[in-house]
Amino acid sequence: MFVFFDQLRQLNLASILLRLTLAMLFGGLIGLERERKRRPAGFRTYMLVCLGAALTLLLSQYEYHMLMTEWAEQAGEIGIRTDVSRFGAQVINGIGFLGAGTIIVTGRQEVKGLTTAAGLWASACMGLAIGAGFYECVLLGFLLIFLAIRLLPYVENSIVENARNMNIYVEFQSLDDVGAIINRIKSQDAQIYEVDIERGREENLLRPSAVFSVRLHQKQAHTRVLAAISEVEGVYTIDEI
Amino acid sequence: MSAFFDSLREINMVSVSVRMLLAVVCGGVIGMEREYKRRPAGFRTHILICLGAAMTTLTSQYLFLYMHYYTDMARLGAQVVAGIGFIGAGTIIVTRQQRVKGLTTAAGLWTSAIVGLALGGGFYEGGIFTTVLILLAELVFARLEYRMLENAPEINLYMEYTDRVCLEKVLKLFRELNLKILNLEITRPTGSEHHNACAIFSLRLNKKCKVEKLLADIHATRGVLSVEEL
Repeated sequence: MFVFFDQLRQLNLASILLRLTLAMLFGGLIGLERERKRRPAGFRTYMLVCLGAALTLLLSQYEYHMLMTEWAEQAGEIGIRTDVSRFGAQVINGIGFLGAGTIIVTGRQEVKGLTTAAGLWASACMGLAIGAGFYECVLLGFLLIFLAIRLLPYVENSIVENARNMNIYVEFQSLDDVGAIINRIKSQDAQIYEVDIERGREENLLRPSAVFSVRLHQKQAHTRVLAAISEVEGVYTIDEI
Repeated sequence: MSAFFDSLREINMVSVSVRMLLAVVCGGVIGMEREYKRRPAGFRTHILICLGAAMTTLTSQYLFLYMHYYTDMARLGAQVVAGIGFIGAGTIIVTRQQRVKGLTTAAGLWTSAIVGLALGGGFYEGGIFTTVLILLAELVFARLEYRMLENAPEINLYMEYTDRVCLEKVLKLFRELNLKILNLEITRPTGSEHHNACAIFSLRLNKKCKVEKLLADIHATRGVLSVEEL
């Protein structure tokens, strides 16, 4: 551990200010990266979550400090001790709730907002470490979270492109077209293992749609499969989800 | 316990770095497999959750071992178990056919959070071995599953037909052949008589019944427009 930080590990005015500022800064920087991608939770959301998380641990350290010094007499009489991680523990649970609220299931049976939830949660955990004054963990944690958000999308894309499983969302004119679409998918050397058909509602101008879960027998470009399906007559929209 | 890790069980700069990097690696390995299967929670989600969980146990060990506060070392980590349950709950979908999807994703996320806890706590053996087991299960069992699917006695049939009488005939045919219908899903266009209805059957075949013959039989039924094996 760095001796350099030792002064700032104890609870004093300088360390409190430093920790709260760090929480705002690091939370904000992660949020900024998400904001750039126009994700629901942005700059301020991350900043607030991280700041709040840091404050909870500061608060419990403050109480511990008071129990040791000014309130020591009373505390001794009653025999009370406080656990410094009790407040912080609830943050982890609470931000889990908050994150669950950012997850949406779209009309196409697609789950969205999971990375936002996970990122928010991870930055709350980082906020706890900041509040505890665990600077080594914070610096490294910030770096890793930032890299995960910044660089890994590229890795993720290449995995997706090489995946042999696809989920294809298709909108078509009428249910009579499903047979042709299924035939076309199978002619692409692919196996369908799940179909989820949704009939449209004419009064709402909703077209019938289906989600096909497909496994390709050989590695091939997903766009080729999509293009092949789009040639089927009656298909309006086609999308890989 | 492996003596190899003993120097990394204390809280110091090296062990903190090793634990967090291991959390990223293990979370990534679990997530990569999910991503490859095109499931909602992918690579980054697993990494972030595994890393966050590792930070919680690290923080409580730091508070106790390094700062000597009075604290229960398991308290922060214990909340992870509940908190990630919530996030996982968000990934579960109930489709319009009242089927539940996304349970494996939720369970996988939760497991990678627990792996993160173990790694952050310095329980390297547990964390690494669990990751290896998960990977093994996913790679070996998934392959096994696909192989079983290929010669499974269960098939899914997609059928287009004109009217109800025809559907009844087909159902009667299944009864005569002694085929068990596991699942039946009928989709009809609303309001119009001109369009055809379609049905998806899940059938359990018996030994006597060949798929090709079954398809031919169904096709021969009056009113059936097309029939496909999925």
